[in-house]
Amino acid sequence: MRLPHPHTLAGAHAMDALDAAGERRFDRHIRRCQECRDEVAELREVAGRLAACSAERPPGPLRERIAATAQRTRQLPPAAGRAAAGWRAWPAGWRAWPAGRTPPLGARPRRLAVPLAGAVAVAVAATWMIFGSGRQDQVPRHPVAAAVAAVLTASDAVMMEAPISTRGSATVVMSLRERRLVFAASGLRALRPGHRYELWLMGHGRDRPVGLLPGPSHGMSGPVIATGVDRGDKLGLTLEPAPGSGHPTGAMLMVLAL
Amino acid sequence: MVALLGRTAQGDHHAFEEVYDLLGATVYGTIRRVIRDPCLSEEVTQEVFIEIWRTAARFDPRRGSPLSWVATIAHRRAVDRVRAEERSAARARRAASHPVAYDVVAESAEHNLDRERVRHCLKRLTDLQREAVTLAYYGGYTYREVATLLGVPPGTVNTRMRDGLIRLRDCLGVSL
Repeated sequence: MRLPHPHTLAGAHAMDALDAAGERRFDRHIRRCQECRDEVAELREVAGRLAACSAERPPGPLRERIAATAQRTRQLPPAAGRAAAGWRAWPAGWRAWPAGRTPPLGARPRRLAVPLAGAVAVAVAATWMIFGSGRQDQVPRHPVAAAVAAVLTASDAVMMEAPISTRGSATVVMSLRERRLVFAASGLRALRPGHRYELWLMGHGRDRPVGLLPGPSHGMSGPVIATGVDRGDKLGLTLEPAPGSGHPTGAMLMVLAL
Repeated sequence: MVALLGRTAQGDHHAFEEVYDLLGATVYGTIRRVIRDPCLSEEVTQEVFIEIWRTAARFDPRRGSPLSWVATIAHRRAVDRVRAEERSAARARRAASHPVAYDVVAESAEHNLDRERVRHCLKRLTDLQREAVTLAYYGGYTYREVATLLGVPPGTVNTRMRDGLIRLRDCLGVSL
């Protein structure tokens, strides 16, 4: 029996009417389908109207019991902790996955909504290695590292990885809410003198340089912070002559859809 | 309401109580339709509001309305609870004793414009769409259970659920 296309599960999912197998199947699909995420968000709104229609006044004492329980219940902060806890209660739409397009280079960037602890560990380790700090303290005092931490602790932070066509791979942590991302790369091919890797933010009618990658330290290059990032932008990497360029002149070594 | 959730996220108990005053009936009523038992419904309503209290900072107004966020938490918990508490066969037996297409909106004493609009829009669905949506949302059944109850293939049920919600969406003018 051929299974129907997962699109068709959107309605059942929005009404919590899928069984465990159906949820898994739909979950796998929705990671790659922006259209479905948008649809689910809308169908959840419709379900909200259905809920409002069945409103019934609860018994009187309940209000006080709830208020009293809340008094002794700790709240979760906006950042930190697994994103999955909030995700269960939220339409799948928030989880940022690429729109299913293949970037021109034929390599598929993988996007992961990782526990922030993991993302922090990866990127802070990179940051500290790059700045050569042997300190063990957790709070970055260097302004760039502090900006990195701000992205990592944003409630909508997502981590993406993409290969670099000449060699190596890039890791990006992005917060659309902050409109910032942090870029780091590892295993990049060594450069001839007089050349640098340059990062670009492309889209919405403009391409602009984000910055030159610092020279590698312990095999890692970066971090570079990009600001003014919006959904639909792309991040690109090219090789440029040493002072950098105003527009990309080298071939794109990486294109990451944000 | 968005502002109330924001203040709740910052620990404002008065704001939280106002959220309860505004959405308590929606939450309780939705849960009650699915769970039916009034005591268990109260218990799950409390769980939902404590989760709202705990996770208010996770609400993002760009991703949807407060109503949708709260209704999602409430419906999810109600469905999880009823599936844990009742085995499927028992639920199917219970369902068999109820009329398949019931006008949930007419049962409540309160009438207001929103309610009338939903009633009007529900009427514009085909019988199969309306029954699929009603059994899933208010009955808390999985699509396979709905398929068994309605005597149609599961794939058809999924399609009707989606079509039904889309039609409601368009009729109600819901968009993000």
